[in-house]
Amino acid sequence: MKKILVVDDEESIRFLYKEELEEEGYIVDCARNGEEALQKLFAFKPDLVSLDIKMPGMDGLEALKRIREMERQLPIILCSAYGEYKQDLTTWASDAYVVKCADLTNFKSTIRKLLGSS
Amino acid sequence: MMRGSPHSYELLKSIVQLSGASIPLEVKLDRMLQSVSGAFQSDRCLILKPERIEKNGFFSRVVSEKKQLWVEDESSFPKENVLPEEEKLLCPAFACIPLYDETSFEGIFYVGFLRHDRFSPEETVLLLLVGDVLRGAIRNEEFHQKTEETIAKLTVLNEMAQEHERRAKELSTLWELNKALLTTVNFERILHLTLTAITIGEGLKFNRAMLFLVNEKDRVLAGTVAVGPDSAEEAGKIWSSLSQRKGAPSDLITQLSSEDHSTLNSIVKEIQIPLAHEHCILLRTVLEGRPFHTQLPQSKEEGRRTPCERGCHFGTEAGCYVGQHLSRNPNVYSFATVPLIGKGKVIGVILVDNLYNQNPITEEDLHFLSMFANQAGLAIENASLYRNLEEVHQELKETQTFLIHLEKMVALGEMSTSIAHEIKNPLTSIGGFARRLNRIVPEGSQEKKYSETIIKEVSRLERILKDLLSYTRDESLVFRELDLREVLEESLSMVPEEIRSGRIQLVKEFEEEIPKILGDPHQLKQTFFNLINNACQAMKENGVLFLRAHSSPKNGASFLKVEVEDTGKGIDPENLHNIFNPFYSTKESSLGLGLPIVHRIITSHRGQIEVDNHPGKGVKFIITLPSSEKGKGNRVTNS
Repeated sequence: MKKILVVDDEESIRFLYKEELEEEGYIVDCARNGEEALQKLFAFKPDLVSLDIKMPGMDGLEALKRIREMERQLPIILCSAYGEYKQDLTTWASDAYVVKCADLTNFKSTIRKLLGSS
Repeated sequence: MMRGSPHSYELLKSIVQLSGASIPLEVKLDRMLQSVSGAFQSDRCLILKPERIEKNGFFSRVVSEKKQLWVEDESSFPKENVLPEEEKLLCPAFACIPLYDETSFEGIFYVGFLRHDRFSPEETVLLLLVGDVLRGAIRNEEFHQKTEETIAKLTVLNEMAQEHERRAKELSTLWELNKALLTTVNFERILHLTLTAITIGEGLKFNRAMLFLVNEKDRVLAGTVAVGPDSAEEAGKIWSSLSQRKGAPSDLITQLSSEDHSTLNSIVKEIQIPLAHEHCILLRTVLEGRPFHTQLPQSKEEGRRTPCERGCHFGTEAGCYVGQHLSRNPNVYSFATVPLIGKGKVIGVILVDNLYNQNPITEEDLHFLSMFANQAGLAIENASLYRNLEEVHQELKETQTFLIHLEKMVALGEMSTSIAHEIKNPLTSIGGFARRLNRIVPEGSQEKKYSETIIKEVSRLERILKDLLSYTRDESLVFRELDLREVLEESLSMVPEEIRSGRIQLVKEFEEEIPKILGDPHQLKQTFFNLINNACQAMKENGVLFLRAHSSPKNGASFLKVEVEDTGKGIDPENLHNIFNPFYSTKESSLGLGLPIVHRIITSHRGQIEVDNHPGKGVKFIITLPSSEKGKGNRVTNS
């Protein structure tokens, strides 16, 4: 059973993603921002992290950097309402960039792809 | 009695008459002395002028003692102080009468006799009387001379005074004109004021005045404005009404100079003399910067002499502007021109004439007119500078307004971007949970319809947001050479099931050889997806979608033409001009930003998009893109 860490500052998004992913059979934990994400990283040891970018405190890009320093191989998805961060080269450190959408099909299939290959 | 008895009355009468005669003084005195000499039969009779009396001599003593000297016998006479020159004069008997009055000494009246004799009392009195008359005559002459000198001085002063008065009048008129000119910076108004002042002002009063200005840009001298009656009758009417008007000239000038609709004004406004026609007298005024004055010819002969070096007597040859347009009878037209000087260069010409009253134009008039012209020239130059300033200021204001507008637009764009992002997250939640509910809710139930509706509306909102964000975003293009057919195929594959289901028939017409283009594949995909999607939306029931791509050479360069055509109901002609406008949308389908985005992308690919609209039958969008192959200028200008 793969473990997924969902990082997003919006409660409803965390709720939605948890419901959807648990339905798919994953074990899901959530974090509200970058710092919490780093803490949960040690405690929860996820197989995949979904990172929102715009968050108060430590944002997604910073968290991405920090996580990468510690976990080279861990699949990380950047998940944002914004499309333009695609142009920021830091995002290349992630394994995928998904634009938030009400239809989570793309999101879920990306997760499946990333977890399937590892 | 001594000698011949002088008839005292006769002598006195003749002497007094002589003294009143208008003959030169010397002649007068001569004749008077002759009369005396004749009457007394004297041997010497003369008047010693003061300047001829030697100092320290015998006669000077007489002068200083102011006493008459009657010498009847020389031996009884003390002869001290007699100078040698004086010796000759002295006779055995003589009378020496100094001609004195309170104010001046005129000389010594000397009558000498060779025979000793006594002077009788009558003779004494007579001689004294004669002395008085002589003195009077001399004094009169002096007065007369002084009077003449005074008269001469007064005459000169009078002339100077007149000259000053004239100058004062000129200055006063200039002052009045200036006052009037100061009331406005309006260009046309200043021109009118100037010409009105010339034709009604105190001291000028030309019948007609016309103003021409140099147009550097078009290289012509253009007639600008004219003031003057159209006929002698009209002139007469104007002058008589003017003479009845009261008021300061400046007020008159400002009141009278309104828009002149006279024929003369219209005629003059038509005149345009190319600056190259250097022989025209108007142009010579400009080029030489001096006034010209053509006299009213006194005779036919004189009329044939020409001031114009073209060889025509001003105005009869075809093509002469002055004659052709301005004079009634070229053979007798007299006029004057002065240059208008503004800030160091000649900016125009004023032409004046006295067509109706035929008054001669004097040098004074011209001089005064030149002064006027200088004032006017300055004012005109100022007005035109002011006008330029106003125009520039207006442009600046407009630019400023535009910039503010742009800033607002940018701010708006930024605001909408951030709002859009704010909206996206909640929207994702709403849509996400709606989908979950949709999966749970039983098929066919009423609740199913609810959840489906929510999902549909959320999708619509997401699309609007996406369009908004991509329109306001400054997406940088990544160009590469590509075959557009690939992009078209990809766009087709993105389109929903209407095509795949077969409801809409797809007709693809791709030419064998089409030129490659430089473009951003992602953006072009979005473009054609938008167009194809719109086409499908327009054909709700069924229809045909045409997709064509072919090369299109033009002016030696090669272009690629892509057509997206549908058989829908077409675009409402009223909205046609708005379809690429980002703020236009119809209620039926949120076409909103689709077409504006298409337009923007095509423009940034240096291409062109046209619409062929047939209401009721369908719409065809034609996109032209320049080929990447090197040709003679592949740029397509966007209309």
